[in-house]
Amino acid sequence: MTSRTVFFNILRFFFLVFFQVLILSHINLGGYINPYFYIYFILLLPFDIPGWLLLVASFFLGLSIDIFTNTIGLNAAACVMMAFFRPFVISAISSGPESLIGDTPTLRNQGVKWFLYYSIILVLVHHASFFYLEIFRIKEFAATFVRMLLSSAFTMVLVLISEYLLYPRGK
Amino acid sequence: MRNLFLFLREHYFYFLFLLLESFSLILLFNYNEFQGSSLYSVSNAVSGSFNNMFTGISEYFSLRKTNRVLVEELAKLHSRIPEAFYTTDVNIFYKKDSIVKLEYKYISAQVISNSTNKRNNFLMINKGSLHGIVNHMGVIIGNKIVGQVVSVSPHFSWIMSMLNKDSRISGKFKKNNQLVNVEWNGGNYRKGQVKEIPKHVLIKKRDTIITSGNSDIFPEGLLIGTIADFSDVQDENFNNGEIFFSTDFNSLGYVEVVVDMMRKEKDDLKASFKQP
Repeated sequence: MTSRTVFFNILRFFFLVFFQVLILSHINLGGYINPYFYIYFILLLPFDIPGWLLLVASFFLGLSIDIFTNTIGLNAAACVMMAFFRPFVISAISSGPESLIGDTPTLRNQGVKWFLYYSIILVLVHHASFFYLEIFRIKEFAATFVRMLLSSAFTMVLVLISEYLLYPRGK
Repeated sequence: MRNLFLFLREHYFYFLFLLLESFSLILLFNYNEFQGSSLYSVSNAVSGSFNNMFTGISEYFSLRKTNRVLVEELAKLHSRIPEAFYTTDVNIFYKKDSIVKLEYKYISAQVISNSTNKRNNFLMINKGSLHGIVNHMGVIIGNKIVGQVVSVSPHFSWIMSMLNKDSRISGKFKKNNQLVNVEWNGGNYRKGQVKEIPKHVLIKKRDTIITSGNSDIFPEGLLIGTIADFSDVQDENFNNGEIFFSTDFNSLGYVEVVVDMMRKEKDDLKASFKQP
């Protein structure tokens, strides 16, 4: 990790937290669908980030959202869960450490298929923990499942849009 | 010992994960007991002042509507002041307050954060313990229910909306006073569920459900909603129904907190009774 990477990640942390609490938390399509785009921060952390920093950074990301939305622990738990799965997902879908190009997981560096696998799995992990912890009831399993899938789709759309905007091909 | 340290170092990722995850879950599930703790008040203060700022901006966009609501409210109140009545008998002014005693007082407050899209929805209002609000007070808008106060800080209160899995309001049919319970199962924020309607009660669509006053949270007679649909299940003791809430939970601007002046007396009465 260069100091430039660290700087950009810190900047991204604050930007995404404020974007989430100022704008995205006020969006709800059809009364059901909320995007949780702030987890883009965890997706974009560099490959060589030490494990402890990954977990701690994700914990504080979740906690900052919690402080603004008054749901102490909810986003933090979901974020830590997602961060825990990240290294395993990366090693499962890559053919080896040498196949990873560049220092951050982006659509341009890794290719569309790789990035889709990577982000869809992790977004689902986060949203599943988030929605089921929020409800904490087995009775409404199906309804929560639909909410989770729709919200994941919405978050994924935002992630893909920003991938194409921030890292255009052939640049 | 050395091996233990090596083991911990080797697998620290798993242990750190378990530590952080269980810490988050403890925070999450002890949330309600954290009201007095510093973390909770920090969160409440941060989100409170933050929401205040945000509402301050967005308020400009709804000035026209707020104006209209205020004018309507003013007209309603004007029609209630003594000067608006034609007095036929002077004697009514001699009645002393030992018969009519103020039971409910209302504190008006502005909603600074609200949601209808979660499974458990809460509101925050800009009045708190400094203004005399304590836990378990009811919150209403006009003559319609909103929720109940679940935690207070000096300047803000956190209100559990009717749209919450833990909300359960005791209601009754306006036409025959039969008691029912009203809950919300998630999904559409305009519709809730009416539970435990006795079999013998004849239900019709558009029957009005009002608060029963049994719960000590809301005064009797506030509008909850109207029956939108109901089911007649043969082998159960109670019928269930669907209710269309009178309150539009998505457009709450100013609400009122109900202060029950006789709350203490009621509580004392209940506490003084010992099961023989």
